[in-house]
Amino acid sequence: MSVDPQTLAAICVMALATAFNRSAGFFLMRLIPVTPRVRRVLDCLPGAVLVALLAPGAVHGDAAMLAGLGAAFLAAKFTRSDLLAVVAAMATAAGLRALGF
Amino acid sequence: MPSPFISHASGAWQAPWPPGENGLAFGRATAIRLQSHRFGVDYPFPALPLPMTKPPPVPLTLHGMLHGARETLPLMPGLAAFGMAFGAASVQKGFSMLEAVLSSGLVFAGLAQMVALEGWREQWTPAALLALGLLTMTVNMRHVLMGASMRPWLWSMPAWKTYPSLLLMADNNWAAAMRYHQEGGNDAGYFVGSGLVTWVLWVVSTAAGHAIGGGIPDPKAVGIDLVVPAFFVAMLLPNWKGRREAVGWGVAAAVSIAVSFVLAGWWFIVIGALAGAFAGGFTDDER
Repeated sequence: MSVDPQTLAAICVMALATAFNRSAGFFLMRLIPVTPRVRRVLDCLPGAVLVALLAPGAVHGDAAMLAGLGAAFLAAKFTRSDLLAVVAAMATAAGLRALGF
Repeated sequence: MPSPFISHASGAWQAPWPPGENGLAFGRATAIRLQSHRFGVDYPFPALPLPMTKPPPVPLTLHGMLHGARETLPLMPGLAAFGMAFGAASVQKGFSMLEAVLSSGLVFAGLAQMVALEGWREQWTPAALLALGLLTMTVNMRHVLMGASMRPWLWSMPAWKTYPSLLLMADNNWAAAMRYHQEGGNDAGYFVGSGLVTWVLWVVSTAAGHAIGGGIPDPKAVGIDLVVPAFFVAMLLPNWKGRREAVGWGVAAAVSIAVSFVLAGWWFIVIGALAGAFAGGFTDDER
């Protein structure tokens, strides 16, 4: 249970960087008036962030990743349950990987 | 002449939009549409000066926190596995238990922590620290966009509540809270409660992973790497409304995939998301 000062400094730098990221966007939007156009862009932002996180992962991932995401899509669409979406994706990917895909 | 658009709260120029935010409703039919020379966008100008009424601030209640915490439960196995993977990996880099826990507790950003761990070193020069800070910021640049997207919801909450809440922002509680808000929820406690559960789980699982050390099975073999993406898929689906999403999501996917092949690092998230949001935001439904 010891803390190396150099490691602590590095951790604090990372903490400052993430704290800045977490506050900066909300703060900056204070300076930009929310016109209907800006509002529409902001409304589209959550979906766009999620797609931008998911799409490259799916393209660069293996076949099991793609199949798992497909299973999550179907489960979320038909059951509307987050839990089932997660379970379906894990089971599909784990199964395919166990089979050697 | 005093402008009716100066908000009482901040003194900042605030558009009287959306209608709910100042308690007054005026639709497109009653608005004179002017081309704003400043922002180059259509701006609905009210025919009469508006009496400014301060909206009730967004609440942050214990009830909301419990609600948010409850809805984070499906993610627990995935978050715990990810935290344990970080804890175990940190052993390899010579982290003590306390250092690993401090890292997870203070930084609280799984992807950035994992990436930084790859290049972790014994000695940190000021230049290396600066590079580490910049690396952390670029890897987690999406948090800037995520924070921006919360402005229309949380703007009326006092800053001393908002900014500490924002420090709890992680991908999963942000995504869940945006869905909650879109479905009519208004309690910022949802975001905070979900964030707190995520934070506790992240720190505890880091400690557990560190304690177990190298004995953790390959997370890919049991599909752990699918947990967070699958949750994102579940969060994404209710956002679908039609044309605007088709354009915005299509552009976000195409741009992020293209950038991921061209640029090293994590720029694809921010660039793809911005391109998609602007493409969607500038897609008009009525035409």
